[in-house]
Amino acid sequence: MSTAPREPLGSDEFEEPKPSESTPSSPESAALDAAETTWRREVLDPALAKQGERQESFVTQQMHWPVKDLYTPKDLEEIGFDYHEDVGFPGQYPYTRGTTPAGYRQDLWKMLQVTGFGTANDSAERWSKMLEQGLNGFIIEYDLPTTNGYDSDHPLAEGEVARAGTAIDTLADMEQALDLPWDKLQHLNSVCNAPQPVNLAMILAALEKRGIEPSSFTLQMSNAILIEYTCVGRYIYPPKHGLRIATDCIEYTIRNHPNWIPITVVSAQLYAARANPVQELAFGFSIAMEYLDATLARGFDIDEVAPYWSFVTGLEMDFFEAVSKLRAYRKIWARLMKERYGAKRHESMQLKLISSPGTTGLTLQQPLNNIARLGIQTLACALGGGAYAITTPLHDEAHALPSEEAVRVGIAVQNIVAHETGVADTVDPLAGSYLVESMTRKMEDEVFAEIERVDAMGGALAAIEAGYFQKELARSQRDRHREIEDGARKQIGVNHLVQDGEKRTIEMFKLGQQAEELQVEQLVRVRAERDEDLVAKTLERVREAAIGDENLVPPIMEAVKAYATQGEICDVMRDVFGVYHPDSLTSGV
Amino acid sequence: MGERKIRVLLAKLGLDSHTVGVTVIAQSLRDAGMEVIYTGLRQTPDMVVQAAIQEDVDVIGISSLSGAQMQHIPKVLERLREEEIDDKLVIVGGVIPDEDGEALKAAGVDQIFTMGAHTGEIAAFIREWWDQGDR
Repeated sequence: MSTAPREPLGSDEFEEPKPSESTPSSPESAALDAAETTWRREVLDPALAKQGERQESFVTQQMHWPVKDLYTPKDLEEIGFDYHEDVGFPGQYPYTRGTTPAGYRQDLWKMLQVTGFGTANDSAERWSKMLEQGLNGFIIEYDLPTTNGYDSDHPLAEGEVARAGTAIDTLADMEQALDLPWDKLQHLNSVCNAPQPVNLAMILAALEKRGIEPSSFTLQMSNAILIEYTCVGRYIYPPKHGLRIATDCIEYTIRNHPNWIPITVVSAQLYAARANPVQELAFGFSIAMEYLDATLARGFDIDEVAPYWSFVTGLEMDFFEAVSKLRAYRKIWARLMKERYGAKRHESMQLKLISSPGTTGLTLQQPLNNIARLGIQTLACALGGGAYAITTPLHDEAHALPSEEAVRVGIAVQNIVAHETGVADTVDPLAGSYLVESMTRKMEDEVFAEIERVDAMGGALAAIEAGYFQKELARSQRDRHREIEDGARKQIGVNHLVQDGEKRTIEMFKLGQQAEELQVEQLVRVRAERDEDLVAKTLERVREAAIGDENLVPPIMEAVKAYATQGEICDVMRDVFGVYHPDSLTSGV
Repeated sequence: MGERKIRVLLAKLGLDSHTVGVTVIAQSLRDAGMEVIYTGLRQTPDMVVQAAIQEDVDVIGISSLSGAQMQHIPKVLERLREEEIDDKLVIVGGVIPDEDGEALKAAGVDQIFTMGAHTGEIAAFIREWWDQGDR
């Protein structure tokens, strides 16, 4: 459903040389040229004659872009770098220096932590503790049965109930999960893509039961089903139906809860599937525009809806690639909104981004090393700037589910970067760096080029249906794996400084044995106590809505309040929409 | 030694949807000259065993990263015995705690490759098993 015009993205701006690139150098530049030539001849070359460089060539870790020995003002001159056009001031277009004028001098980023496991009661207890420890919000991850739209007693659910996240079967579970110190909670992020309308309806109904005013906090939904088809795999219905129900959630939320965030493009998932930064941004933005086009088709104006679009990214260990990615991320979004969609409001062009140190950089081997990695990546998050929230994964995440100690260290890492390093005290401190500005521009140019390739296929939905993203990611996964196996890319503890006979000493979180039993017991009890006629009647309404084109959220809310289970509601939609089975091409394997 | 290629079924059981590992392994085993068949996501133990029979595979590789290995894998082994095709090589890869790995081996899994295992090592293990057999 591609309704917004897909104009070429002002490609002339970067494909044709800018006047400054081809014009003869200024006197200053000629002098610099001469000075550099002299320096190379008289200073550098003699030094290298004694001892050569430690590697034959230097490239960035993910993009494999050549890295020069030295960046000077000439590099900026060559790309026609223009301070106002490329960078500007914080809080102003193109927002390269950040979306707010005062950056972290005003407010530090929100410190979030991904968490959630066990029954709803276990989770509420742990989240309450985290809020008391100083977090402002958290991300709820649900277990696999919940995110796949199955009840806890479904045969496929066995062994997975309450394991990788919180189990939610009915409204009763959500009521328990949201038993929280609400005065401390500012931001709640709910990650439940395929059954998102059911999840939204359950949260709304639980808030109503608890008497919590929905506008008292920000609920951020991932609602990111197109990413699931691309790499994560927790899809239910065929892609176009996935897009429809995601759009229903977006439309419902914008109309009824305007301070919530109904869509999050979790490009971090692409990153976790080994997308390089250009793939991550290009696929992520293409997907974001697919949701945007579908939403605009519901009768909105771009400036009414664009401010709701929100993103989550993950960072790798290559520091300058990471910083450049964050800066390009903001600039590209601003340009897309202004140039492609004709947005006028600043809020439409200001990227909302949660950035997080990435889990794929963490290693199973020598897990304590991951604390150093997290510190460095968190620093890149802070220096890349403009993220309004940062999540820290946990140093033992590569091992298993995170331990409590790891949660504490994750929070501490963010606070150390915030309070002990001074990096948050000036806005976008790496701006003007010859290297960082060159790399930011290169990132921008290559992302636009890849977006145009996706456009030529008909946009993200068509690219997913054709298996393009999946195939590209499969190749990246293989290449990345080979680089580590053959040592082209050093990873400490994995292929460098390896210790033989290393013992794992990290404390690992153990799930209570009875979580699954308790969850199934509660489900059975709820089913026994509810009004079956009302359940059947409300489910029939969901079916009618699914067959037609009415928004699914209100009828699902009625079913939820009647204590219909998530599995039952999803089954009704399975009947109507069908179930998605990718083939070998569209699975990428 | 067979002229035919070694046939490997790669399987994902239950709701585990982490596919990076299985994608990498599929490509590396193909590069090592094997025929790879992938079941796709959300398989039950019975579906995996049926696929193994239909595809007449020599090796079954199960990828498990969600933590539900003890729920599904022993059932696959049991079904293989019931179908009397437990002569196939069964290998498991992913996030498998040591104690679960021991239990799975005792139940009939031939080898466990946890995260960080070299893909070449996996291909070599399969090849060695194949060459030892009287095929």
